[in-house]
Amino acid sequence: MFLLFALITIIGALAMSQQKNVIVAGLCMVLTFLGVAGLFLMLSNPVAAALQVIVYSGAIMVLVLFTIMLLNSHEEEPAIQSRPIQRWVGALLIAVFGAFAFRIVMGSKALVDINTLADANTAVRPMEAMNLAKVGEEIFRHYLLGFEIVGLLLLAAMVGAVALTKKEL
Amino acid sequence: MGAWMNGSLQGYILVAMLLFIIGLATVMLRRTLLMQFMGIELMLNAANVALLAFARFRGGDVTGTVFYLFILGVAACEAAIGLALVIALFRHRKTTDADRADSLRQ
Repeated sequence: MFLLFALITIIGALAMSQQKNVIVAGLCMVLTFLGVAGLFLMLSNPVAAALQVIVYSGAIMVLVLFTIMLLNSHEEEPAIQSRPIQRWVGALLIAVFGAFAFRIVMGSKALVDINTLADANTAVRPMEAMNLAKVGEEIFRHYLLGFEIVGLLLLAAMVGAVALTKKEL
Repeated sequence: MGAWMNGSLQGYILVAMLLFIIGLATVMLRRTLLMQFMGIELMLNAANVALLAFARFRGGDVTGTVFYLFILGVAACEAAIGLALVIALFRHRKTTDADRADSLRQ
C-alpha cells in the first residue's frame, strides 16, 4: 500500500514537471496531492489526509486551475532567448543536491533507530489513529497564539489578493 | 528490497526528498510562472510529508498535525497572493513567462 501511494505521488509529480500543457500539469498535481493524502492515511493520520484532500486538491488546485483558465495561457510561451548553459548548470546542481540528499537519507542511522524504537513501541501498545479531538485540544491549549496568527494571516492574504487584482480601489 | 519499500520512516523521508527535488527542478527549469508556483506547492507538500512521518514515528505526536495545519494556512495564503500577483502581471504585461517579466518599468 505504501509503495502504491508513493508511486502515485512521485509519478504525478514527475508528469507535472514534464507536462507542456499547464492545465494537464494542474491535473497531475491533483493526482500528486491525492497520493500524499494516501501517504497520510498510511501514517495513521486521517485528519491530515482529509485536510489534504479538502484544502490542497480541493481549494488550492481549483484556484490554480481557475487562474490558468482565466489567463487563457495553456501552453508555455516560446523562449525569448534560449539559455542552454544556465539550464544545464541548474539541472547539474539539482542532480548533485539530489545525490547528496539520497546518500544522507539512505546512510542515516538515526532514521533506522527511530524506526526500530517506534516498531518496538507499537508492538507493546498499538498505534491509535490521530483524531480531531486531540488536535483541537493541543491547538487551544498550547498553540492558541499561533492559531490566531494564522487566522490574521489568512485575513491579510484575502485583503491583499483583492487589493492586488482589483483594477481601482 | 530494503525496509524502505514497506513503509518505514526511511521510505517516507525518501518520498519527501524526491518530491522536494522534483519541485525544485520545476521551479528552476520551467519558465511559466504558474508551473513555478506548482513547484513551490510541491516543495511545501514534501515538507508536510516529512513532518507527519516524523510525528507518526515519534509515537503519534499531536504537535506534528498542529503544525501541518499551520503550514496549510500559510500555503493557502501563498496561493491567494501568488495567483493575485500572476493575474496582476498578466494584466500589465500580457504574459505569464518569468523571462518576460524581468524589469520593473513597463
